[in-house]
Amino acid sequence: MTMLRLQGIHKSFGKLHVLRGVDLEVNRGDVLCIIGPSGSGKSTLLRCTNLLVYPDRGDIFLEQVRVTTRAVRPEWVRQQIGMVFQQFNLFTHLTALRNVMLGLVVVKRMNPADARSKAELELQRVGLADKKDAYPAQLSGGQQQRVAIARALAMDPRVMLFDEPTSALDPEFIHEVLDVMGRLAKEGMTMVVVTHEMNFAREVADSIIFFDQGQIVERGSPEEIFDRPGHDRTKAFVGKILR
Amino acid sequence: MDRRRWLQSLRGLPRRKGPHTGRGDLLRNATRFTLRVLVGLGVTALGFASLIYLGILHYYNLGYAESILPALGQGFLVTLRLVAVVIPLGFALGFFFGWARTTRSLLLRGLGAVYVEVFRGLPPIVLIFFSYLLTTLAILNISRNPFIAGDVALWMGAIALSFHSGAYQTEIIRAGLLSVPTGQIEASEAIGMSRWQTMFRVILPQAFRISLPPLGNEFASVIKDTSLLNVIGWLDLAQIGLLQVSTALKMDFNLVFIIWIEIAMLYFVLTFAVTKVVRFVENRYKVPGLEAAEL
Repeated sequence: MTMLRLQGIHKSFGKLHVLRGVDLEVNRGDVLCIIGPSGSGKSTLLRCTNLLVYPDRGDIFLEQVRVTTRAVRPEWVRQQIGMVFQQFNLFTHLTALRNVMLGLVVVKRMNPADARSKAELELQRVGLADKKDAYPAQLSGGQQQRVAIARALAMDPRVMLFDEPTSALDPEFIHEVLDVMGRLAKEGMTMVVVTHEMNFAREVADSIIFFDQGQIVERGSPEEIFDRPGHDRTKAFVGKILR
Repeated sequence: MDRRRWLQSLRGLPRRKGPHTGRGDLLRNATRFTLRVLVGLGVTALGFASLIYLGILHYYNLGYAESILPALGQGFLVTLRLVAVVIPLGFALGFFFGWARTTRSLLLRGLGAVYVEVFRGLPPIVLIFFSYLLTTLAILNISRNPFIAGDVALWMGAIALSFHSGAYQTEIIRAGLLSVPTGQIEASEAIGMSRWQTMFRVILPQAFRISLPPLGNEFASVIKDTSLLNVIGWLDLAQIGLLQVSTALKMDFNLVFIIWIEIAMLYFVLTFAVTKVVRFVENRYKVPGLEAAEL
């Protein structure tokens, strides 16, 4: 069953035409990895998906419901779609626990006691129960990113978007974040992941998209994209990255 | 205790590493407290000693110093009232226009820019005079009751000073708001928070932390600027002082120093109290791990 569908998405910033008609479908419980050179519009595509950036043209469907209409509040859509950023973007003035609680209390209007126990549970899921009272500046990059994942998960999203979640991490911390993501995928979370971690993509992804110049160049299984890419540009990119 | 740690305890800074509990912490707090008490006592003793010394030399006439206190106290209360109006009003204006200058609305941004340029660019004394005179004229045109006009016009002068201070505070608040990275706003919106929720739960607490020290600066500065208001007839601390000086000059020139020292002390006490309050709020907004580096 289709969880998320993008149809003819266009987005320009001034004269720069970043997304040039993107069609995309993700089934429930699938992991879709998006690879491609930097500046190709991958991040903008993710930001359009949860309406952080509103697309100029095209439609987005979440479980068959068209969300790109005036009847649907963007805030509601973002609540359904979790997002994890390259730079973590934890709220610097709040503890790990408060970071996770904030959305529950403010957006979901949960009472603080319930929000606290749910937040503690989410931190436990990412293995950081003992760090709940630490402030972001006191955590390592890997720990910050795991808190960020817990913060997104706490909202019980239907889809999770990851925007190069390990690109800003020291090599020693990458695996702990990928482990959490792998476990999440196994639990059946629908995920769209922009990544440069080819091993992760190969092991976890159900399908992979090669994205270049604002368009989907090629879509296929990990084996198809990595071992027998059909398109020249894919071949060149994969060749560069895997070497 | 090594030198570094001793210096830190002196400055009241927490140690960077290690748990902040147990006997060591208690000991450190005790040392810090003792040091503070000792320094306070020392300064006070020094002050009294120098006053007594001046008294012996007949430069300081303690009897006279006491005799002018009630009058200066009256002026102090007037200054206190002015400060109680000028600081909150200036802050409210600074807060509003600081926010306005960072919104997307071109109208609000323009309004904020004009406000800052006008009220920061004009001398406060001109602002005070103009608002006083124009208000007086306007009210006299309507009611012809000079007593009402006088009172209202006096307060309009204080409001003009608030607008001047507010222009500085606008820039302080704007700087704080701009210091919050866009990533914070994106993250907040990504969990479904509305623009207002983002503002109050995420942006402001972080912006405020940055804005507080310069705000304290501006408060300290505007307290002394209230003394400009005596040009339109406020009998504030500085004005009462001037009146005392003019009588003192007829008796003994040395008395003038006594008056000014007392005025200075009263302004200092007021400024010190306000900056202490700001400091207290500052500590409440402190974020572990984000303190400034220990230089």
